[in-house]
Amino acid sequence: MRPSLDDPRVAIPAESTWYEPAPTPQTERQAEFLSLREGEMFVNMGPQHPSTHGVLRVIIKVNGEKVVDLDPVLGYLHRGVEKLCENADYHQAICYTDPLEYVSSLFCEAAPVAAFEKLMDVDVPRRAQYIRVLTMELNRIASHTLFQGWMALDLGGITPILWAFIERDEIVDMLAALTGQKLLYNYYRIGGVNGDLNHEFMSRLGTWMSRAAAQIDSNLALINENEIFVRRTRGLGVLDAKTALKMGVTGPNLRASGVPFDLRRDRPYLVYPELEFDVPTRDEGDSLARYLVRMDEIKQSIRIIDQVLHEMPDGPVMAKLPRLLRPRPGRAFGAVEGPRGVYGTYAISDGTDQPFRMRIHDPSFVHLQLVGPLTKGNLIADTMAVMASLDPVMGGVDK
Amino acid sequence: MDRRLAALLQEKFGERLLTPVRQRYDESEIRVALKDATDTLRTLHDDPAFRFEMLIDLCGVDTGEEMQVVYHLSSSTSGDWLRVIVPGLDRVAPRIASATFMWPGAEWMEREAYDMFGIIFEGNRDLRRIYMPDDYRSFPLRKDFYLADDASRSPAAGVRNMERAGTPADATAATVLRKSPGV
Repeated sequence: MRPSLDDPRVAIPAESTWYEPAPTPQTERQAEFLSLREGEMFVNMGPQHPSTHGVLRVIIKVNGEKVVDLDPVLGYLHRGVEKLCENADYHQAICYTDPLEYVSSLFCEAAPVAAFEKLMDVDVPRRAQYIRVLTMELNRIASHTLFQGWMALDLGGITPILWAFIERDEIVDMLAALTGQKLLYNYYRIGGVNGDLNHEFMSRLGTWMSRAAAQIDSNLALINENEIFVRRTRGLGVLDAKTALKMGVTGPNLRASGVPFDLRRDRPYLVYPELEFDVPTRDEGDSLARYLVRMDEIKQSIRIIDQVLHEMPDGPVMAKLPRLLRPRPGRAFGAVEGPRGVYGTYAISDGTDQPFRMRIHDPSFVHLQLVGPLTKGNLIADTMAVMASLDPVMGGVDK
Repeated sequence: MDRRLAALLQEKFGERLLTPVRQRYDESEIRVALKDATDTLRTLHDDPAFRFEMLIDLCGVDTGEEMQVVYHLSSSTSGDWLRVIVPGLDRVAPRIASATFMWPGAEWMEREAYDMFGIIFEGNRDLRRIYMPDDYRSFPLRKDFYLADDASRSPAAGVRNMERAGTPADATAATVLRKSPGV
């Protein structure tokens, strides 16, 4: 007869909830996290977990089904992009920043390009500025629609991501026709963009624009009125404006807490001052508000694209620049408003053709810090609802 | 708007500034000594004339001779951005007071600066490695950390062959370290 695992003679008593020797705490905070009270235990989530949007490991301390504390473990995707950029010349550095946030890579390119252009005093031609705004807004819509599907998927609904991918794939294919790549576009150059708009891109964009608003509205109707979705996200993970500012939160997550901070309006770059758009905000600061702010932003992006297509001037798309760029010694910070918040690059030049130091600031990294404070006291399953609503992308978090 | 900020900074901090306020494009920049760093940040945050309430970025910089910590702040009233550079941290044992008492969100950015440069932020409750494994010994973004040569040796990589897998035995520190004249 085969032995049963329920048989007390073969069952192995578990001494600890760690599958390896528990780590020795190195800091005050870690010691606090590792000390267990009566009834508490550790549950490991990740690194291979579908809800973490990448390779993230989260150690959750639970009491029953309530989360007491959690500790994210990063670094599974760390590639050392900053070091690589310091060892590449200015043109090469841009393509290293693409895979940071692979669902919104145009923003990851736009930040270093903005910093380098400040270092080199380059004026970007007007047409190139319009093209950048156009492609960035398309990328923002692609990112937000994907977020919509992801968030519903993390809450247990499989259908919305299939619908979200219809819109996203159309935008991705459009940008692929323009840039030659589906995800890592490598399209922006110091002083302009790589290639003018082509016929395939424009015809795809025209077809998409004629039905985009209606299609996105029907996608929204799929989730926004869904009672399960709304009841699981309303009032969950509430972030007030004061805490949000102290935690360095930016982007839609900050605007969902009622702070109307948007770089496109507050610290304008490219041709944004000439375009009309609203900055949607919500006051609740919960997961639902973070979701709804992003959905409102999609509509504003469509509005911006519409204006850009009407006002785009003719002209060159690249400034005249030498092949080998050697900016004067100096410092510059370039920042753009991305779908997740402020993407920033702090570049230091030492007069050679390679950046002396290139710091990449990624909003996902900052926002992931909030998962701990926001989920304390909630159920384990709500950790995913909070994390999904913050919309971190691990490629950006881990750099 | 920016001119007014420069005058205001000059007036408030006066001789505390190591260099005059620099302004270029939409950025302003000040340098303060290590001992004044915390007070300066607190004034910038609390003073109703500034209200630099958002910490946009915090990072470490290794210039090859010293360490720096650089803060990028954004004002919630005027929309100004300010870069605060704290130079002069010892390269061997860099230490600075943590900014987490004011911006709890700086915690991970300080952890990153510790992980990459070895800068100790006194007062950060959770200062341990964040990207690299716990048993990792060196600090990758320091200028004396060399990458195994790969792309930078290709003909397209520019004029300077700077990457070496190891340090030549007879090299002096001056030839090996990449130093910046202007920073």
